[in-house]
Amino acid sequence: MPTAVKHQRELGDDVQVIFVECQGAERDTYEAFAWRMKWMGNAAMWTHERPMEMPGSGLPQTALIGVDGTVILQGNPGALGKRLSEALEAEIKKSKQPPADAPAELKKAWTMFLKGDVAGALAECDASTAPAAADTRTEFLARTTARIERVKRLLDAGDFGLAERQTAEIEKAVKSNAELAAQIAEQRARLNDPANAREREAAKAFDALVDKIATEKPFDAGNVKKMSALAEKFSGAKAAEKAARFVELSKLRAGA
Amino acid sequence: MKLSWVPLAVAGLALAGFALRSPSTNEGKKVDYRFSEAPVNAAGIKSLAELRGKPVLIDFWGTR
Repeated sequence: MPTAVKHQRELGDDVQVIFVECQGAERDTYEAFAWRMKWMGNAAMWTHERPMEMPGSGLPQTALIGVDGTVILQGNPGALGKRLSEALEAEIKKSKQPPADAPAELKKAWTMFLKGDVAGALAECDASTAPAAADTRTEFLARTTARIERVKRLLDAGDFGLAERQTAEIEKAVKSNAELAAQIAEQRARLNDPANAREREAAKAFDALVDKIATEKPFDAGNVKKMSALAEKFSGAKAAEKAARFVELSKLRAGA
Repeated sequence: MKLSWVPLAVAGLALAGFALRSPSTNEGKKVDYRFSEAPVNAAGIKSLAELRGKPVLIDFWGTR
């Protein structure tokens, strides 16, 4: 199992792993491969688009992007060895602390933001006379609106389980900020809309089945049959489309 | 005549510095990228910018 899968499973939300297929395989091929290898069922993303150059010739290759978007390390994961896990640990630590270059007057705002109190952090910026207060406020707003946008996309994709968890977190974080609270309330209304009851139920069933089979021979006949039944039961729901896709992927020959 | 050595020396030093830098890394560079097609399991994420504040591990690999 690639170390990155282990990192994603063990570190959860503290890190985002992105696998980039570099040998020209089709999306279906690498997705089926990942299922077959039991690497799915976690937050790792899979793509064939290279988000950055991959200089050099060797695969596998790993790059660690730090909390400020700077590449910290890049190279063969084996050669990087302990340096990679140490750098990752250091970045996770940084992600929970105010940036080192944050002015002393704004450390409190950063601490509040990182602990999930977005409304409090924004209010702290508003009350501050520090020259960087406006930029810091903009950064907090940008990160929070990006999270709200993400919830919208999750709902569009029928991913109601994750959307529910994210919405609950954001609601708590922005409670006393009228503008942001109104934005997340729109998504809460979509989540709770009785017209979406079937989508919610389908998503719940799909997530539960994925959790159960992802690390235990996902493409075994019994599991494929269960996924097929789910696709049929919730026909028309977005989660049913995902279940039907899983069934199709299971038919792809290994190594195809 | 003496002055002509100065630009040559500067160019030589610059070339040596360039050669000493590893050509096989993006280390130290800021990166951003917006995916044109949502990755598998994207969970609503469309760009690296949306992940700012969290470490990202990119794993380049091959299926074959």
